[in-house]
Amino acid sequence: MKSIINKYFALLLLAVTVCSSCKKIFDLPDEKDYISNNVNFTNKILEPIIGRTNLIGGFNSDNSTNPITFEIVNVRYGDGKPVSDLFTTAPTYVWIAPYTGLEKSLAEIEAKRKIETHPIFEMRSSGEFILWPSATNQILKPRPTDSTNYSQDTRFFDVKVKNTGGERLIKDFQIRPFRERPYEPSNDFNAYTGLPAPDPKFPLDKNLRDYIRPYLNNVIGATSNLNLVSNNDKKDAIVYIRPLTSGGNGHSLRIVVLGKDSLPIDPKFFNETVWDKMIHGFNVQKTDKYVQYDVAYPIPLVEIPTSYAIGGSRAKAQLSYSRIGFGGARTVANFGVDFAIYKAGDWEIVFYFKNENPKFANE
Amino acid sequence: MKRNILLYTLLIVCIICCTNAYSQEKNIIVNGRVLDKDTKQGVPGVSVVLQATNKGLTQTNGDGKFSVNVPVGGTLLFKFLGYNTSSVKITNQTNITVTISEDRKDLNDVIIVAYQNRPKETTAGSVTVLSGKDVSDIPVSNIETLLQGKVPGLNIQNNTGAPGFRGSVQIRGLSSLSISGSGNDSFLQPTSPLYIIDGVPLDADKAAEFGFQTQGPGVSPLSLIPQEDIENIQILKDAQATSMYGSRGAYGVIIITTKRGNSKVPRIKYVSNFFVNAPPKLRETLGGNSERLLKIQQIILNAENIDQIRRISNTPFLADSLNAYWNNSTDWQDVFYQTTFNQSHNLALDGGDQKFNYKANMGYYAEKGVIKNTGYNRYNLNMNMEFKPNDKFRFFGFVNGSVGKQNKGNGAGLLQSGVADNGQASTLLPPPSFYQASGGVLSALRTLNDNNSRNLRTNIDARYEFIPGLAASSTLSYDYTSDTETTFTPAAANGQFAKLYDYNGRNFQLYNRNAITYAKTLGEKHNFFINTFNEIYKQGSQSSISRQERIPNDQLQGPLGYDGYYSRGGGVLSSYKNATIASFAGSLSYDYDKKYVAEFSYRLDGTSSSGLENPYSKNSSVGLRWNFNKENWLTDKKWLDYGSLRLTWGQNIAPTGNLQSIYGKYNLNGNYNNTQTIGIDYDLIPNPSLKPTTTSQYNLGLDIGFLNRFSIVVDTYFKKVDNLLFDRILSNTTGFNKLSSNDLGIANYGTEISLNIKAITSKDFDLSFSINGAYNRDVLLKLPEEYNGQYIRFDGSSYLQHNVFRVGRNTLSNYLRINQGVYSTDADVPVDPVTGKRYQSNNTFFLGGDPILKDVNGDYILDGRDYEITGNSQPLFTGGLSFTMRYKNWGLNMYASYTADRTILNNALADRIAIMRDPYALNAVVPLGDLNIWQGPGDVAKYPYPYDYSRYGNIQPLRADQTLWQESGSYLKINNLTLSYMFDKKLIRRFGLANLRVFGSTNNLITFSKYSGPNPENVTTLGRDISNGYPVPRTYNIGLNLELNTGN
Repeated sequence: MKSIINKYFALLLLAVTVCSSCKKIFDLPDEKDYISNNVNFTNKILEPIIGRTNLIGGFNSDNSTNPITFEIVNVRYGDGKPVSDLFTTAPTYVWIAPYTGLEKSLAEIEAKRKIETHPIFEMRSSGEFILWPSATNQILKPRPTDSTNYSQDTRFFDVKVKNTGGERLIKDFQIRPFRERPYEPSNDFNAYTGLPAPDPKFPLDKNLRDYIRPYLNNVIGATSNLNLVSNNDKKDAIVYIRPLTSGGNGHSLRIVVLGKDSLPIDPKFFNETVWDKMIHGFNVQKTDKYVQYDVAYPIPLVEIPTSYAIGGSRAKAQLSYSRIGFGGARTVANFGVDFAIYKAGDWEIVFYFKNENPKFANE
Repeated sequence: MKRNILLYTLLIVCIICCTNAYSQEKNIIVNGRVLDKDTKQGVPGVSVVLQATNKGLTQTNGDGKFSVNVPVGGTLLFKFLGYNTSSVKITNQTNITVTISEDRKDLNDVIIVAYQNRPKETTAGSVTVLSGKDVSDIPVSNIETLLQGKVPGLNIQNNTGAPGFRGSVQIRGLSSLSISGSGNDSFLQPTSPLYIIDGVPLDADKAAEFGFQTQGPGVSPLSLIPQEDIENIQILKDAQATSMYGSRGAYGVIIITTKRGNSKVPRIKYVSNFFVNAPPKLRETLGGNSERLLKIQQIILNAENIDQIRRISNTPFLADSLNAYWNNSTDWQDVFYQTTFNQSHNLALDGGDQKFNYKANMGYYAEKGVIKNTGYNRYNLNMNMEFKPNDKFRFFGFVNGSVGKQNKGNGAGLLQSGVADNGQASTLLPPPSFYQASGGVLSALRTLNDNNSRNLRTNIDARYEFIPGLAASSTLSYDYTSDTETTFTPAAANGQFAKLYDYNGRNFQLYNRNAITYAKTLGEKHNFFINTFNEIYKQGSQSSISRQERIPNDQLQGPLGYDGYYSRGGGVLSSYKNATIASFAGSLSYDYDKKYVAEFSYRLDGTSSSGLENPYSKNSSVGLRWNFNKENWLTDKKWLDYGSLRLTWGQNIAPTGNLQSIYGKYNLNGNYNNTQTIGIDYDLIPNPSLKPTTTSQYNLGLDIGFLNRFSIVVDTYFKKVDNLLFDRILSNTTGFNKLSSNDLGIANYGTEISLNIKAITSKDFDLSFSINGAYNRDVLLKLPEEYNGQYIRFDGSSYLQHNVFRVGRNTLSNYLRINQGVYSTDADVPVDPVTGKRYQSNNTFFLGGDPILKDVNGDYILDGRDYEITGNSQPLFTGGLSFTMRYKNWGLNMYASYTADRTILNNALADRIAIMRDPYALNAVVPLGDLNIWQGPGDVAKYPYPYDYSRYGNIQPLRADQTLWQESGSYLKINNLTLSYMFDKKLIRRFGLANLRVFGSTNNLITFSKYSGPNPENVTTLGRDISNGYPVPRTYNIGLNLELNTGN
């Protein structure tokens, strides 16, 4: 009798299992990832600057289910010419640990990043476009120097947005890269041509050009006894950010101040300058002509606020000195520039007092 | 004429034969007593029938004794409604004792199908019957509370402790996706079963049309039914059983039959309960100086700058510890919560027999809420009588009158937000007193709230049988409810001006049903039963409110409206209703020798709220049943008591729209050419082809009983709810915003099992167990096409706990940020390889102690795009256990219920920890020592560091929209435990009592759960444990049943 019961139990269990656990007989829809009909990008014209880290967002998934994969397809020039240079691979730095601004040596900084080879232009899983800093003008042809946007000069591409629920093709993105601007401020040259920029006051005068200008506080001219200024009308001091011609080791930054005679002023005159905390560099060499650091490029390394880059995006080179002013009070003068250098190498920042030297002597 | 002669001859022969037979036999007088098998008490009113003649000889008296004159060798049958018939063959004994037992064999039950009593073994539907005993001994304001865990597939969550309110009730899963409100107030529109009380339908969702923001008394019509008056409760689950109830039966049908008189001598029964409601464990709070010290410590240890530390000196309650105003330790929760002593009394008088019986039941129930200034009182007087002089005619009528008085305090009833907010006040503040307490305290405690729900329900029902088998019956009932609410908030509680709110509502339902039934047996084995009826409902309701924001003084508490400037009006609420439903239904039931059963039914419902193109909804059903124990090859199997297989299909079609969705809404749009213009409201385009919601259901069931001990019922079903109402967003070129469409569908499928075991049945000791369980899974079938398979219902509140509907998945999922733990150290925070920046939110980088919230899209920024679908707020498993034991006069029974595999969001805990976000605020602080909180670098913790108040705003480590708060809502709850003692009959007779039973019982005794909050059941239907909900109290009760000895 027991066996009969068991048999019935088995039958019963079988019936229950068949009827309830098997979804198929109910013809229920399967769950699949959601992909919205409204996935799009807020901006389909990409204008990155070659030679820098460009991360361009703007993907609106409209709550489509992640993970979403993105694929750049059908890259072509507007006239149908194939594009060959956009996906050239090149080694580039990727971060593996957070930069804090507290690193004690170059090795410590280098331990936080490593070199990987990536196509210079790619998309990541968030739908952001990346133009890696490894791109150069030579690898990726910049937009035309005459600032036109003819379709035959513009690279077009489509993006395939895909998850397991389906795919959407978003068409006709344009990428119009600006040529390299290895440093900022870069108002001294033209973003399209790379040639010196005209003077903003006299744009048609070919003999004049624009310069990077420092800020100056309390800097008094040695001869005029007037405050030195640097503006559109009068440029007592200008700044050059330029590659170092000699004396570099491949990752150095030199700070030089030139007097009106184009000869270096001894950095010791800038007696209030905190050289050690000015630049996140190491192995400071102080000579009577310049101060030079071993640094890691780009400067700033990561766009976060540190003591070297208060706002995050610009480092600060600020020199200051003090002297006894009128009435016997000590006045502090300073000048400097908020800058960024994107291209690794040997660079110098030159403050050039064109018209007269700063006054260091006490009153 | 020839035929008549034949007849007379036959008659004469018969008479002669009979007299011969009589004359040959010797008659004796037999005395005896009929005892109830369980209680060992005499059973009065038992018919004693001689089997040979099928003639009733006598009935037992009040003591169960009888005396009859019977021929020797005859067999006496003892028949009593609700009991098994027992037979005794008379040989020569003159004194017999007969025990009869209550009829518990499932298949012999008579159940009500489509308003007709039918033997259960010839119906195919899935039906569970509970007796009145299952809902006795525990005083509750709403009997639904006690149905929890007793019926597989009936999922009851007693999720509010507010007296007089209802929990949530679902039969076989989810039937609606209509959610209103946002955040904690998100409210899933209930789809309660249709209740039929003594043949009269009743709308249990009546008080729920405004969600948590109840308007008016909010007394559920079910709270007006005294539990002592219930004879039995029948739950119809599958569509075959419910389709004859038409559109209103789409969510299942629960039939409640009240007690009938049944005693030769009038019986007076009295039930009394005295019970204590104790609030659950409240939130632990640090009091007085500990609060101050903790806050100061928090500020100093987490300050980011010197100003934050200096601010301590500028914050008086932190700095000025000697000031009497700030030098307190007030337990604010104690101000609001209380333990209450309550009582209920019920007096029932009944009498009569099968031919004429009557009953009167008077009840009083008073419960004070565990939150002060709340409570519920009920007064009842129910009477019914039945007159059935013979089998041809029956007349039944009842009058039920009840008054429910409710006090909601200043809350909305289900929610007590004021109490929740003020319970969080700083303990440093002085305790409340009238002159200076915060308005919130006064508002919660001194608001005068007077709610009345007065209900009168009357019914007459008559049945006449023209020829054997053909009967007509008619029922007419009228149900009227008047609801009033007056809320007066004194001036001190409302910014120096008293205010008044007044609600006035009425509801009526006139109901008529006329039925013709015909039963016929052909050739002894072919049984037919035809049941046709029509129903007409005339329903109406209208309620209006009026508010006066400022009234002159606390003494003038009405009338309203002295000043137009401060009158906030109100007017008629949107619950206005004036509806007519007309229905025609017919069913045919056929069985072959009660072995093979087939049932067919069809019903037409015409309502004014269906679209013009679908005015009638058509409900049809088919049911098949095979009682396989009657097959020849099984009849000799003694171990098998009964066994049957059932297969049914049925449809319930319910109109979903309202008049606005069909005809559009028209507004007065100002004047044109000095003529009033009326134009359509461009929000919603009219949809005259709106279809009614179609619920179709397949059910396969198995009933089996064996060895007289075990009975098993298994049902497996597939239920599809189609054409649910859903708004489609229209293109703006149409000129309209939305279209009410029918493009939403849900499926529920699952299995229900119940097992009853009578382990031991003996004279002194009985022991039985039962266990039941239901597995239900719901799946979203479709959404309007343009949604492409997913719709997110964004939560506009600060909780940001969104709901997502995705086709192919469980219907109500959460859309949350995924918590993956807590960053142990700063170095654990990932870095964007491209930019070198750490994972961030609102431009603030994550650090050790912050929650690991999954960066779903991989952009190293936590923002609104990092949500994922997760969880299921509806339980997959529900069920219950019971255990009943009797030893001599002692009885012990226990009911437990369980719910498993559901996700709940512990918002209460989120709110509780988040109190720490601002140490300068006058809030209480809570000890967090019991939680696994990150304390310092290296800790692997569950909960993030809550004390870093400077970064709190940007990182929001304790944000509510993360899966950290998503916990399993599984629980096992011991609902009731009852210990009773039945006094010996002989003993109590001396005191003029026929019966005396005392019992002690508890309700909501203990809940076993891994859930970190106070009660995994006390959550909203969307699975949110909200801190402003009403806690479910624990009840301890002492009660007695007594019956006066009104017999000889």
